[in-house]
Order: sequence, then C-alpha cells, then structure tokens
Amino acid sequence: MRALGTRLLAPAILVAVGLPFATLGVWSLAERWFFPDLWPQAWGLRAWRYVFATAGGQVAAALVQSVAVATATSLVSVVVALPAARALGLYDFRGKDTISVLLTLPVIVPPLSVAMGLHLWFIRLGLAETFVGVVAVHLTFCLPYAVFVLWGVFSNYNPDFESQARSLGASQLRVWRQVMLPMVMPGLIVAGLFAFLLSWSQYLSTLIIGGGRLTTLPVLLFALMGSGDRPVAAAVSIVFVLPAFVALLFSARHLGGQSLAGVR
Amino acid sequence: MGALSLKNLTIHYGRQPVVADFDLDIRDGEMVSLLGPSGAGKTTILKVVAGLLAPTRGAILIDGQAVTDLPPEKRDAVMIFQKPLLFPFMNVQQNIAFGLKMRGDSGDRRARAVAHILALTRLDGLGRRKVHELSGGQQQRVALARALVLEPAILLMDEPLSNLDANLRQEMRELILGIQSELGITTLFVTHDQAEALMMSQRVALLLEGRLRQVGSPRELYHRPADPDVARFFGGDNFIQGRMRDGVFETDFGPFPVEAVSGNGHRRTATIRPEDIQLVTDTGDQPDHLPGTVKRTRFEGMATRAWVSCPSGELVVLTPRSGLSAGQAVQLRLPPEKIRIFPD
Repeated sequence: MRALGTRLLAPAILVAVGLPFATLGVWSLAERWFFPDLWPQAWGLRAWRYVFATAGGQVAAALVQSVAVATATSLVSVVVALPAARALGLYDFRGKDTISVLLTLPVIVPPLSVAMGLHLWFIRLGLAETFVGVVAVHLTFCLPYAVFVLWGVFSNYNPDFESQARSLGASQLRVWRQVMLPMVMPGLIVAGLFAFLLSWSQYLSTLIIGGGRLTTLPVLLFALMGSGDRPVAAAVSIVFVLPAFVALLFSARHLGGQSLAGVR
Repeated sequence: MGALSLKNLTIHYGRQPVVADFDLDIRDGEMVSLLGPSGAGKTTILKVVAGLLAPTRGAILIDGQAVTDLPPEKRDAVMIFQKPLLFPFMNVQQNIAFGLKMRGDSGDRRARAVAHILALTRLDGLGRRKVHELSGGQQQRVALARALVLEPAILLMDEPLSNLDANLRQEMRELILGIQSELGITTLFVTHDQAEALMMSQRVALLLEGRLRQVGSPRELYHRPADPDVARFFGGDNFIQGRMRDGVFETDFGPFPVEAVSGNGHRRTATIRPEDIQLVTDTGDQPDHLPGTVKRTRFEGMATRAWVSCPSGELVVLTPRSGLSAGQAVQLRLPPEKIRIFPD
C-alpha cells in the first residue's frame, strides 16, 4: 500500500507542478486556439519571435531591471536581517513580541495599501520613480521574510561556538567572519533567495512607486497581457519564470534543512 | 608554564550574585578540580577565567600578571566546553588547526603540530574526517586536541566527560590524566561528580552556592570535611550532636575520647562516614557496641548500604557484609578515631 503511494507521489507532484507550465508552453506555441478546442488549431513561433525579436529590446531591458532590483533587494534584506535576527534569536528583551507583530504587518496588509500609502511619502522624499524607491518598497515585503527565516536559524544557533572560537584565540571580528557566517550560511542563502523571489514577482508596488518608469518583467508582462495576446503573454511568462527557477535550483540543496540542522 | 591566581572574585548575572569572594591559587602544572552541584557557579568561574565573562570585582593573574581586563583571545588560557563544539563546516584537522591559524602560524608548522597532537590524543588517521562522522568520544578528543595544540598556560575544562557513557568516560579520564601529566599543563577541571574530582585532581575546590567551602587534597576533603555541608556533599549522612568535656566528646551514641582538648563545654557536631562504622550481626552483648535494628537496605555492588535505627538515632552504614535484611537486629561500633568533629 505504501509502496503504491510512494510510486504515485512523484508523478502526482510532476503533474501538479508541470501541468500549468505545460499549458504555458502550449500557449506560447499556439498560432490560433479558440474556445471549444482542447488543442491549438495552428502552431507557430510567432510569440517567441515577438519576445526575442520585435520586443526583444524591451524584454531584455526588463529582465536586466528585474535582476538588478531583486538582487539589490535581496542583498539589503540579508544584510539588515542578519543582525536583527541574531538579536531576536539569541536574546530575550522587552518588546520582542511587539517587534514580531510589527514585522508581520507589511506581510498581512495588502501590498496595494502599503504601496499607495508609501507613494505620497516617496514623492515628498524624491524616491518615487527611482530605482532606490522601488527597492525600498520591495524591502517592506522582503525584509520581514528574511528576518523570519534567519530568526529561526538563530533560535537554533548555539553561541557557545563563538565563545569557543574566542577562547581559541579568534578576535570578535574573525569570529563573525570565520565562525558565525559559515554556520548560518545555508540560512542566509535561503533568506536571500526568498527575498529575491518575492522581489522578482512584485507587480503592484513596482508599478505604483516606479510609476511606469521602472519596467520590471512583471510590469512588462501585465502590459503585454493587457493587449490580449495570450501566446505572447505565455512566452513572456516563461521568460519570467525561468530565471527564478534557475535561482531555486541553484540553492535547492540548502532548502532541505539538513545543512541547517548542523547548527546546534 | 602557568600559575593561576584568582583573587576575591565576585560575579553577578545582572543583579543576581552568582559567585562571591572566590579565592584560589593553582600552582604551575597542577590539576585542580572545581567541584560543586549544578548551579553552584562553577562554569561561571571558568568563563570568567577564560575572559568570556567579566567579574564584578576581583582579579585573575596568570604567572603573576593580571589578565582581568584582557579579551579572551589575548589570554593564555583555553576553555573546553561540555559539548565538543566542533565547527561543523571544518574537518578534524581544520578544527584542530583553528587556534594555530588565528595565531598566525605557518601552514607547515600547523601541519606538524596537528599531526603531533592527533597522535597524542589517539586520533591518528582521522584528520580528514568530517566532524559528524565521529563518535561522541572522538569528538570530545578532537575538542581536547584543538585546545592542547595551542600549548596554553592554563587549560580550563567544563565537565568534558559528562556527555560520554560510563566506559568511554573512564577511557577519556585516563587520556586526560596522561596528557596532563605529560605536558604539565596547569588545569582547572570543573565537575559535579565527586568521585571524578577525587580521582582526577591533585587538589579539589568545593563550591556550594557560589562560595568556596573547602580546598584541599582529595583525602582531606573526603576524610576531614570542613563543615557538615562538605561532609554531606561527599556522601557523609551521619551527623552526631554532642558536647566537649575533658577530652571526651559526649553524645547520645556514647562518649568518644578525642585528642585535641578544645572548646570545653561547647556543643559540637560530628560526622562519621558510612563505611567507617563497623557492623556485626552477633547478638551477644559486646562492650562499646550500639544495638540497632536494620530498617532497610540497598545493594550497591561492592557494598550494601543499611539504614540502622539505634535508640539514640538513625545511622547509615556501608558494609561489605551481605545477607542483611530489614528488621534484623545488629550491633554497631563507631571507632573513635574515625569520628570527625567539626570546628565551631
């Protein structure tokens, strides 16, 4: 019975994950596909030609923009979250619960409200329609996730490792660089990846704060979809998903939690 | 080389005093056990000596030099924790070489020192192993090697054997003793196990509730405890109240002649170790024997522990005699030379 379950598990996952992607693939290759039919009437590479040739410059620019924004957001998230999560995970202090609630706020409040509320301030501060502004608004969503991931890492972190390193002759700075960083690195990669993917898929906040001047892939994707050209939208979707998927594959071995378990 | 001097150490955690007015001098090459129940402040003292905690008051001197204000990495004292704390992202030899690397030793020197210490701690051939591939005993040996390779003036050990099972602990104990006497490293060894303290060290310092209660050779603490609390910690459960009169300690259990005539007429407390009481099962009336009834017994391997109820009180006896049973009538003799009368 269990053997059957195990044998069915992999195909089930493959179908659940693969089917939507397969549909995207089919759509991107459809030349004509109308309602009652389950299969396109005509196939062709028109959508892909559009993505790589006609709109190639636009897509490439958006891709670069997306990578830049997501990388910056991810780096800042991790750098800020690391000391914060360390304090939250290792020490007990007053107001810890309040901080936890405040951290979840941007996650539970709809992004639209956050972005709209921030927009006015960003205009005053001269951050609207700038790269820094977009990264800043992404940080409101990405930073809490990074803190939560690393908070968990540091709750399982034994600071005695650092005391041991000090006693063996390492200065505080070297302890951080050569003991703490390698120990939390798997968690750091996961946190950075979360922040990257979250920033990668931001649409509304980018649109509002970027004001259409910062065209990331999702912004371009929605614009193309709005025109009602579904094969093109499908092709752009694939272009959009692929880099994120590659990033995920790259760090998959850190996601298992096995390397995280070595911390204690 | 290293003599360690702790002067008047007082340590607080927040506002809570943990250790008060702690004084201890350890000679160069000596191995001293810091013994006490958990929560007595032993580890705290060790961390203060290592520089990982700051004392509220007091001074730490290594070879007469005050190191109280030096950071841990500048002190010639290395601490080994209860857990091995091997860095999981390094293999065995990288772990051992960590301190040498921090010190700036060349790769060549590091390799030679590591090879030497691997042999000394019987870890030959394990240098390239990953940490998680080692057994608990091997991990603890690597932790020991990682500290020893630095040849510190002072070695601080925080119950390094408590995570090992009994057989392994015995083996590790011998290893530590052998290396300690071979290298002559001044060692402060923290333990809550009184047997371990007696076996491992030249002197024992007993810490109860943050205060040093007695320092001395294992025999001194065992046979001549300074006060009832020390006696109780070493398993002396028999306490006898009495009065000093003309060279005799008069008690409900009978008079005991004593050598030192002091505190004439004063009330005193005395103790006698359970194994020092002689137990006979003959019922015939014998001079200077106390009649009693066995209340309960417990078999402890080499001996049997018996709780004996006498007309003047209950005494605990540890006897090699087997076949005792509850309700049995016995006679006890308390040799006067084994009675330890506490100073006032």
